[in-house]
This record gives sequence, C-alpha cells and structure tokens, in this order.
Amino acid sequence: MITATSLKKNFGDFSAVNGINLQVNKGECFGLLGPNGAGKSTFINMTYGTVKRSSGDLKIFGYDPDTNSREIKYRLGVVTQDNALDESLTVLENMQIYCAFIGVARADRKKRIEDLLEYMNLGHKRDALIQTLSGGMKRRLVFVRALLGNPELLILDEPTTGLDPAVRHLLWGKVRELHQTGTTIVLTTHYMHEAEVLCNRLVIMNHGLVAAEGSPQKMIKEHAPGYVGIFNIEDQNKIKSIIAGRDSYDFVEDTSGVYLRTQTLSDLTSFHSDHGLTPLQIRPSNLEDVFLKLTGKELSVDA
Amino acid sequence: MLNSLKLCMHITHRNWIVYKKDLIANISPTVADPALVLVSLGLGLGSFITNVEGMTYMQFLAPGLTVATALFTSFFESSYGFYVRMTFENVYKAMLTTPIGVKEVVMGEMIWVGLKGAVMAVGVAIVLALFGLMSNPWLIPTLASVGFLVALPCGALGLLSSALVNNMNQFQTVYSFLIAPLYFLSGIFFPISQMATPVRIVAEFFPLIHGVRLAQALFWQRGIGEAFLYSGTILVVQSIILCALAYHFIKKKLIN
Repeated sequence: MITATSLKKNFGDFSAVNGINLQVNKGECFGLLGPNGAGKSTFINMTYGTVKRSSGDLKIFGYDPDTNSREIKYRLGVVTQDNALDESLTVLENMQIYCAFIGVARADRKKRIEDLLEYMNLGHKRDALIQTLSGGMKRRLVFVRALLGNPELLILDEPTTGLDPAVRHLLWGKVRELHQTGTTIVLTTHYMHEAEVLCNRLVIMNHGLVAAEGSPQKMIKEHAPGYVGIFNIEDQNKIKSIIAGRDSYDFVEDTSGVYLRTQTLSDLTSFHSDHGLTPLQIRPSNLEDVFLKLTGKELSVDA
Repeated sequence: MLNSLKLCMHITHRNWIVYKKDLIANISPTVADPALVLVSLGLGLGSFITNVEGMTYMQFLAPGLTVATALFTSFFESSYGFYVRMTFENVYKAMLTTPIGVKEVVMGEMIWVGLKGAVMAVGVAIVLALFGLMSNPWLIPTLASVGFLVALPCGALGLLSSALVNNMNQFQTVYSFLIAPLYFLSGIFFPISQMATPVRIVAEFFPLIHGVRLAQALFWQRGIGEAFLYSGTILVVQSIILCALAYHFIKKKLIN
C-alpha cells in the first residue's frame, strides 16, 4: 500500500527524512515510532502530498502523491495531529461538510454519520457544538471524520496524545476492530505501549532514518531481551561498580532511577541476595527499552 | 475539472455555514460602515458642498460606497478571516487530507469573497436607492457584478497578505499602506481629476478605481457600456493576475 524508496526530505539545511526505505502491506497495522523530530510527521505528510519529497520515490496505492494526491486521498482517512474541527459548528454540521469534501453521496450521508457516531459512542452528541465537547470526545470525532469515506488506509498521527487512559483504551479497542475488519493502519506514536498493543510491525525512526524494523516481539528479543530492574538513583555508583566489565548487562541512568537490564530474572534477584540492593520494580523488557537503547535519551532534549 | 469546481463550491458552502452562525456580528460592519459614511459625510459635510460634477454630494458619494463595501468585506475575509482559519484553526490542514487541494482552497475562498462582495454591494445599493440616490433602481441587480469584480482582486490581495505576513498584527501595515489609501484615493469621496497626477497614475493600477467607475456609471446611468468594456476588462485581468499570485504564495504556505 505504501512503498518508500530512498525517500528524502530536506527543509533548508535540515534533513527531516534522510533516505528511508519502507513498505506497508495491505492489512497491516504498521507503527512509526521515534522521538520528536525523527521525521515521522514529515513522512506522514508526504503520503498525502502536503509535504513534497526532495528525492527518492514514494508510492501510495501505486500512485505518486506529488502528482496524483487526489486519487490517493479519496481512499485515505487521516486522524490528524490537530483536531482542526470547526468549533462554532455542531458535530453533525462538521461531519456533513466533510462528507461533501470526500464525495459521500448526499442520500447516504446522514446514515453514514450516525452509524459512525454510534460506533464511537458519540450518538448522543450529534447536535452539540464542538466547543462544548471534551478533549476525548473531540478526538473520537476526528476518528469519525477519518472513517466517513470508508478508507482502505487509515493514518493515525499521534491519535491518543494528551488523552486520559480510559479514552485511550477505548480508541485502542476501535483501532483493533478496524484492523480486524481489514483496514490497513499506519500509526505514529510516542507511546511505546500503544505501539506494542496495536502494531504487528513497526519501525523506529531516528534522525530521519529507520533505526530498526520488525514486530514488537522481534524487536524486543533482538535489541533488549530479558528483564529490567529499576533501582533507586542513589544506588547508581554501587551498581556501576558491580556490573563493571560484565557485557550482558545494560545500564541506563535517568533522573527518575537507574534502569538495569539483564538476560535472566535471577541475574536481577541476585542483586538483592548478593549485594543487598532491592529494585523498586522488576519487569520484562519492553519496547520502551528498545526505543531508549536505539534513539538514546539525549535526543529528546534538542528535538 | 468539474470535480475540482464541485470541491471549490463545498469550501464556499462551508464558509457560508460558519458565517451564518454569527450573522449579525458578521454583517454589522458591512451595513453600518456605509450608513455612517453616508450620514456623516453625505448629510453632514455634504451640506457645505452644493455641486460636485453637477450633482449633490450625496449623489456623488453613493456609488463609491457600494464598491467600498465590496473592498472591505473581501479584504477582511481573506486576510484576518483566512489567516485565522489557516494558522489557528488548522482548517486547511484537515481539508488537505481530503480530495481537496490548494487550488480548490484558493478558488473556493475566491468564489466565497466574490459572492459576498456581490451580495453586499447589492444590499448597500438597495439602501441607497431608498434614499433616492440611484437614478434607475432597476439597475440594482447589475451592482452584483460590480461587487463580484471588485471583491475578487481585493480578496486576492487579502490572500496574498495572508501568505506573506509573519503574524496577524502585520495586517495593520497592509491596511494602512494599501487598503486605506485605496479607499480614500480611488475617487469615492471626490472626483479623480482632483488628485495629483502621480496618485492618479498609481491608482489606475489598483482595482478599486475601476470598480468606482463601474458603480458610478450604473448609479448615474452614464456610459455604462464603455465602463464595463474598459474598467470591467481591467478588473478581470487584475483578478486573474492577483489570484494566480495568491495561489502561488498560499501553496508555498500550505505545501512544504
């Protein structure tokens, strides 16, 4: 559905996307992860033609978005990063305008809108003004807007940023349902857990490049297998001296604590029995560990 | 092409839906401003002026007010209005994920300001005709074409400034050095022949003076044919040039 080959985009001296190759296949839920400024949004914007590539090749449904963006956009739904709803209009009015934009036949509009509002649990809000809706409701409405045209490809650009856990879980459920019914999904997110829950394949981008690619499980296994113990920050020197010279440990210090990854669970528990150090928390490693390992945490500072 | 035009009309329609939500607030300046000018200048100042080109000052002033309305309604809509939609409300960001492209955005906005200019010019003309300031009230509908033809280039100037300003405050500069001079120096308040030659020559290159000529021809029933042939053509040409420029710069703004 999406094929990018040596895709590049420069803004002046800055290269936002620096030669990426990736493919999104039909029926996938594909994740695009990376720190701020990694090139995710630039890539997303290129798929529907609001950012023009500097070089390389990009095809969506076999079309070039620089020359045939309209053909692409008829088959695409986008949950944009900003809601961009008309605040002074009602839910229904907003959706009717978008039905007209994407060419839903006049006779079908009402039913289509009401079905989707029901689906996103917004049926009771059809006549409410946008400015009276909560943040979570607005976000759900943006999902409705993205689905009005029955898109083959659904792009979710940071769909749950700033939402409370309840709304986030509700949206995850909907995304999973859409995926199961055959919609291809591309998701960008900062939440590793979100990507782990939803995506069957993902790439981690950094500095405009693809740093790693694969299924969440494969990536964890490949880049950060094992278990992570989180220790008190005061213990960091002690831990450092214990693990000095041992390759199988992965050590990350952070303002909130010391993260120590080991291959086996017993490696961690031995810190307690052998050295009297008790981890605050022990958990299996996850995508976040992969992410931090590959992108380094210093990046988010200047991005 | 047909599809593209349909999409433009959807944008125009969207603007109308938003506009009519707050109709009183939106329509107030376009109705109140010309009325105020008519009363203060026409009745007040006009009582000291007995004869301008063989008519009363009220009669002289009337046609220009319809054109001024078209200027203001189109410029403010496509400067402040468009800028807010583009920068703060992100309306176009979402629109551009649909089959709509920048061409449709610009054309849709232009059709919208054109229609608004047409309706406002006719509205003001009706009021003026009630004051007995139009020699043949049957010509009122033709003022729609004048409003439309003035609103297009003035709206394009607004879009152009939307694309070029760095923040909303800078519209004030555009207003002070472009729109206000157009308003005061395009023959609305006194005959063009009274102006210094350089001003007259420069004014010819801007749309308002031609709109004023058209409106005067219609209000006074003087040389309507020639006015449309000359000023009408110039307005069409100016519209095409300015819309093309506006498209070029708006595109740079919306597509990176």
